[in-house]
Amino acid sequence: MAESEITFDLPVTRETVADFALAVGEDNRVFFDPEEARRQGFPDVVAPPTFTVTQIFCVPRDERERRLGANLDYGRVLHGEQEFVYNRLPVAGEVLTGTMRIAKDFTKEGKRGGSMRFVTYESVFTDADGAEVLRAYYTLIETSKDPGS
Amino acid sequence: MTTPKTVTLDALTLGMELEEFVYGPLSREDFVRYAEASGDDNPIHQDEEYARSQGSPTVFAMGMLNAGYLAHAVSDWFGGPQHLRRYKVRFTTRVWAGDELICSGRIDSIEGGVVHVALEARRRGAGPDGLDLPEDEVALKGEAEIVLPE
Repeated sequence: MAESEITFDLPVTRETVADFALAVGEDNRVFFDPEEARRQGFPDVVAPPTFTVTQIFCVPRDERERRLGANLDYGRVLHGEQEFVYNRLPVAGEVLTGTMRIAKDFTKEGKRGGSMRFVTYESVFTDADGAEVLRAYYTLIETSKDPGS
Repeated sequence: MTTPKTVTLDALTLGMELEEFVYGPLSREDFVRYAEASGDDNPIHQDEEYARSQGSPTVFAMGMLNAGYLAHAVSDWFGGPQHLRRYKVRFTTRVWAGDELICSGRIDSIEGGVVHVALEARRRGAGPDGLDLPEDEVALKGEAEIVLPE
């Protein structure tokens, strides 16, 4: 029986923030230099806008599949869309609590006979006070086995 | 290392085109570094043989790597990442090793202090042999909402 949601901890550290920032070519000091981050009014370095994709370290794909039960065939799956809605960005030194669930799951008939299934995972991240930090929507598209002619 | 200049609302106008930022050319090393930093270890982005077994002529960039670069451009255009309130992207084609990623944006509306920006990232490059890709095509389309200091 699938679970309706998965709860997990996402630690934000100076090291994981710097590694992620470098991997997307960032050179803004606010991601690397705690002094500069404090000068700008943050308690510590700030995580880049797409940083919470690192949640895959906490809940790998297989575990997500097993527990939420979307039953996707990853040989036919593409990442279709991604959205983030921010109250603020995470900062190093905090541990976010993530709650992930399937927000949407629907199938669209294609013009040429095949169909496409859209599955959207929503992850809501809250801080130690229980306040929402950001939410992320991860939309996968599963193409049909028989793409039609 | 840099610190982007502060941008205030009165510096923006409707329809304004933001300065194009060009990243890359991307390399396989960039894919490996992103896999390690992000946790996306899908072998289709790193393992040639696996990529071919999945019907791709070679490895290609993670969509979120491209989205990360585009978010980088958005942060720098508006004086830092902390001004983002919403960021959304749709992936329209794959980006390959050797491609440059050209990020552009246009101010679509300014309402009640919220700036709506239309975003695009194009891949530019020859692409893998045998695919016969256009030299320059849209790989990501997106939008952002920004709130700036007065």
